[in-house]
Amino acid sequence: MDTPGDRNQASIVVAQLPIGEAVSGPGDIEVALESLNQWQLAWRRFRRHKLAMVGLVIFSAMILLAIFGPIVNPFDPLKIPGAIKPGGDPPSAAHWFGTDDTGRDVFTMVMNGARISVAVGGLSMMIAGFVGVIVGALAGYVGGWADNLLMRVVDVFFAVPFLFVILVAARFFGQGEVIPLILIFGLLSWPLIARLVRAMFLSLREQEFVQAATAAGVSDLRIAFRHILPNTLGPVIVSMTLIMASNIVLEAFVSFLNFGIRQDQTSWGNALSNAQNSLILGNWWWAFFPGMAIALTVIAINFIGDGLRDALDPHSRA
Amino acid sequence: MIKYFIHRAIQAIPVVFLIAVLSFGLMIQAPGGPQAQFNQNPHITQADIDKWLADWCLERNPDLLGTLREFGGWFGLWNCSGTGLMSEHGLPNFLPTFLGGGTNGIIHGDFGYSISTSRPVTSLILERLPGTLILMFTAFIVWVTIAIIAGIIAAVRRYSVFDQSLTLFSYIFYSLPTFWLGLNLIFVFGIALRWFPVQGIIDTRHSPAPWATPEYWAAFWANPLPQIADIARHLVLPVTTLVAVSIAGDSRFVRSAMLDVLGQDYIRTARAKGVPPRGVIFRHAFRNALLPVVTNIALEIAFLFSGAIVTETVFSWPGMGRLFIEGLNTRDYFLLMGIVFIASMLVVFFNLVADVVYGLVDPRVRYD
Repeated sequence: MDTPGDRNQASIVVAQLPIGEAVSGPGDIEVALESLNQWQLAWRRFRRHKLAMVGLVIFSAMILLAIFGPIVNPFDPLKIPGAIKPGGDPPSAAHWFGTDDTGRDVFTMVMNGARISVAVGGLSMMIAGFVGVIVGALAGYVGGWADNLLMRVVDVFFAVPFLFVILVAARFFGQGEVIPLILIFGLLSWPLIARLVRAMFLSLREQEFVQAATAAGVSDLRIAFRHILPNTLGPVIVSMTLIMASNIVLEAFVSFLNFGIRQDQTSWGNALSNAQNSLILGNWWWAFFPGMAIALTVIAINFIGDGLRDALDPHSRA
Repeated sequence: MIKYFIHRAIQAIPVVFLIAVLSFGLMIQAPGGPQAQFNQNPHITQADIDKWLADWCLERNPDLLGTLREFGGWFGLWNCSGTGLMSEHGLPNFLPTFLGGGTNGIIHGDFGYSISTSRPVTSLILERLPGTLILMFTAFIVWVTIAIIAGIIAAVRRYSVFDQSLTLFSYIFYSLPTFWLGLNLIFVFGIALRWFPVQGIIDTRHSPAPWATPEYWAAFWANPLPQIADIARHLVLPVTTLVAVSIAGDSRFVRSAMLDVLGQDYIRTARAKGVPPRGVIFRHAFRNALLPVVTNIALEIAFLFSGAIVTETVFSWPGMGRLFIEGLNTRDYFLLMGIVFIASMLVVFFNLVADVVYGLVDPRVRYD
């Protein structure tokens, strides 16, 4: 890798060695030198951010639960075990999070739902990041009419209340399938990133290192993507985490309204979709636990985003 | 000032145009098609359908020429109904059909007829507008007041118990899904404690007439106090749901804006001159912290609309957001289009207002 962003930064760090090993003699302190590249430095800063580490732990636990939970778990999230009992059963030793009105285990719903919900959030985030970076780079680097055209399109995205468009698209184009929904969430949430990347490109393309590259005869495409783009990655990654968090909530709401994922697949939103009618029967657990899973995941992702903001900022000294 | 306002309004025209094209094109291109919905409505005859499809440039033609004709009509390149250059309203027919060309259009204040109810979309929306406006206006006032006051206190008493609990509160609430918060509030305060009603805008058992009917408004104006009290009771939970997330984010924003200003030299000067603490905080610090806050609030007004859809659905609130969900359920294209269009217009309008307000609070801004 020869990108400017990836090049090793000269950094001198005093290794934290046990005293006995580091000190070879009285008054003669040996200092271990360690060279860290940018990502190692970022990871070091990230680790010092307590909330971000808490977020990372929660998020990893959620991922592990999503991957391994349904394998170990004895209950089927879709099979209705017996007679329908309005209100369902409260949390017990057999059903940790209680059951819904058809006797299905809510804990199972939460675990199986994590798969689709996190997948929708994560994949739509990547689509949004990809499209946003391309559009923003184009608008910011080419400028002129391309900038004008693309930014008017972005303006429209910001003028229309986002949720209206999401709901229309999900209802008419989603058809209950996971992949169309991922595409919809991704293709509707890129403008934020495009605006950010464009603004950074506008200021970066005037800097000396770009002039140097131009003078050295580097092609436009290479300047844009190998020289300028790596410098925008920090803020882009941070706003991508925010998009992931908000898309997880959006998926939940869209499925809650039955416009999202089909009912024969489990997502957190689907788990919540009929829970409101059972509230009146005193069934709080059916709505509470899947929502709590969403809230915990989103809090965790926001914490991670906070940590990344500090870690990826080369000017922060942590 | 007025010149600036007009200039900005003209700038907004292409955006509004694109919104109309997008909202219309999106729905018409969706699988299913509007014909299927027309056919389900007993009040609509085949002749009506053919006429509308022609007027709206919706005749589906499989060949390239037909598709080009359809798209050209939407973008206003020609007039599908073929009634000449001027419509019966005296407006040019070369505008896109859905904007004002053809015989009816949004420019004439006519959004067409709702497919599922056969009623004019305009009257359906007008019926639901008061509910949404009451909810959003109350939420806006509560949101801005609490966020500003809490933010100022947290900034002035930095690292106090209040400040730290506000930080904790905003970390938690900022991440909560709004609709789930609503469900929990319904359970705790509506079902378990029975403090507040959880559905609708008025108590149908005691109200003189159904909501938003002329009889209701007559009864309302004859004796407003009990009606207002009734609406207020119904407002508590929806407004709490709607504002909790916004307050969580914005009180932090106000706090950091205040802290930025409080660290400035002119604040120290003001204190040194012997300005009383209250004067320093409100006249010197808050006045300047207001600028980024106003910008931020303006940006979030669009979110208030999205929040209104969520809240109105959870609380069965008779507003535009719920009408929108009902329209989605019945695939009522023209109703949906009308709502998306009006909501977008309102957002564009509020952003314009925010620009003007920004000029009022910041004397350095010059409109010329």
